Amino acid sequence: MDIRLGQRVKIADLLPGAGKFSIGLKIDAPGLVIDLSCFGLDDQGKLSDDRYMTFYNQPTTPCGGVKLYTPPGDRAGFAVNLQKLSAGIARLVITASIEGEGVMSKLQSGYLRLVDEAGHEAARFSFSGADFQAERALMLAEIYRKDGVWRLSATGQGFNGGLDALVRHFGGEVAPAAEPPPPPKTVSLSKITLEKRGNTVSLEKKGGADHGEILINLNWHRPPAKKGLFGGFSGGGGVDLDLGCLVTMRDGSKGCIQALGNTFGALNRPPFVQLDGDDRTGASLGGENLRINGAHWDDLQRILVYAFIYEGVPNWSSTDAVVILRTPGQPEIEVRLDSHDDRRTCCAIALLENQGGSIKIGKEVVYFASQREMDQAYRWGLNWIEGNK
Amino acid sequence: MAITLQKGGNVNLSKEAPNLAHMLIGLGWDARSTDGQDFDLDASLFMVGADNKVPNDAFFIFYNQPKSPDGSVEHTGDNLTGSGDGDDEAIKVDLKRAPPEIQKLVVAVTIHDAEARKQNFGQVANAFIRIVNMDNNVEIARFDLSEDYSTETAMIFGEVYRNGADWKFRAVGQGFSGGLRALALQHGVHVG
Repeated sequence: MDIRLGQRVKIADLLPGAGKFSIGLKIDAPGLVIDLSCFGLDDQGKLSDDRYMTFYNQPTTPCGGVKLYTPPGDRAGFAVNLQKLSAGIARLVITASIEGEGVMSKLQSGYLRLVDEAGHEAARFSFSGADFQAERALMLAEIYRKDGVWRLSATGQGFNGGLDALVRHFGGEVAPAAEPPPPPKTVSLSKITLEKRGNTVSLEKKGGADHGEILINLNWHRPPAKKGLFGGFSGGGGVDLDLGCLVTMRDGSKGCIQALGNTFGALNRPPFVQLDGDDRTGASLGGENLRINGAHWDDLQRILVYAFIYEGVPNWSSTDAVVILRTPGQPEIEVRLDSHDDRRTCCAIALLENQGGSIKIGKEVVYFASQREMDQAYRWGLNWIEGNK
Repeated sequence: MAITLQKGGNVNLSKEAPNLAHMLIGLGWDARSTDGQDFDLDASLFMVGADNKVPNDAFFIFYNQPKSPDGSVEHTGDNLTGSGDGDDEAIKVDLKRAPPEIQKLVVAVTIHDAEARKQNFGQVANAFIRIVNMDNNVEIARFDLSEDYSTETAMIFGEVYRNGADWKFRAVGQGFSGGLRALALQHGVHVG
């Protein structure tokens, strides 16, 4: 079925009985760089949750209702499953935006089509540059729910202001400064996930060598970085997690390493544990890092790694925080901060103990009202006073 | 509490609002929020007899002829962009003064210059027609167009018609291609 600009059709009339289909796109636009995205909007037409923007940097919605997928023969596209789509999403808008110079009237030709599960084309909306003027971002088509019925609309309208204007139209705010593109995710070939409290793993020294530099990284969810002119939306982030640890040396001396109070520790002299500079903006994509000098592991007795929320409402569930412990030549060890307790600001994450030279790592993930309370629970025995950053 | 009609549904205005005399027909739609040429939508009203034709061209009420010869129907003016709250265009009807040979008031909306601007009703969101009793400012009936229409450039939103001594309103939502000209010709207007 050919769909004309402005036309609206019930999805059920195109794809009987199916809420599963894919969207295929192809745009011929010599000299233009065009990005395609799918925005999942609420019933007010707003992007209330920016995880529902699906694009190359965020290939699926949390519900899995929309995923990046290119049907055979097309250049780009999305796999849609309306059954799986979060109930809060009432509208999917397929957008095209120009990166760099150019306007939509310059594009040669293009189409957006709906393809059923068997791979057959159910509908095709063809367009050309003559349909547009000076737009730099277009809402090509919308799949939306009205009166409980999903419909397709060949919208074909947009904004001369480009993606920024489009994002504002969807209720988002555009950060004034552009964020750098995130580095590609490193692929970890071997990984150990400590699933439950009490799970432990031991890292032995390899062939008489020391443990090397042990890196403990805390990372948490923040609004996904959008490249170029996009920036992040405001309002999505805001939770600042701080990483710290309690240390007991073999000789019995104790200390606390954290940004609060400026006790960053040291790597080449006791306590042989160091915290990288605190990043309070959350803009650093690497999160926060603690390093342990593995050559001096034998000088250390035990280390309790924790995270705390220095400012703001405890909202662990929104942070989706994870600690990854990397030791040279060893599998990566991952501990997720689950079993959230949003009434408490401090979370003991993992306990590292020296067991005859090997590192025994145990998952804790126990929440406390303060570091002091945590200290008492683990019988660390430090004196706690209020501090400032 | 106004009655919300579905496409094809009707309501007896005289029963819902006894002694209804002065009626306002309000029409609305969302203004264009994207860039590009504005949607200029125009409301028109055809006062037709039993044959569905206007007795003469003076009974075609539109932006160039805002008042009927008997004064019973008056177009309150053109809103060029559709912006602003509430009704975008409104037509006032004095039912008691409507000539007896007029059986029906057909209310249509057309997109001005639709072909040149490559516009159609599929691009117009949240269109509605409502009937208000002007004597107490109470909304009697309302029809939110269902978005089943799409590429048409003219649309009959609804019609007010005689049923014996009563007046009724029907939610029509029927689209036409060819714009105002085709619609006018169909209702017996001599278009120059």
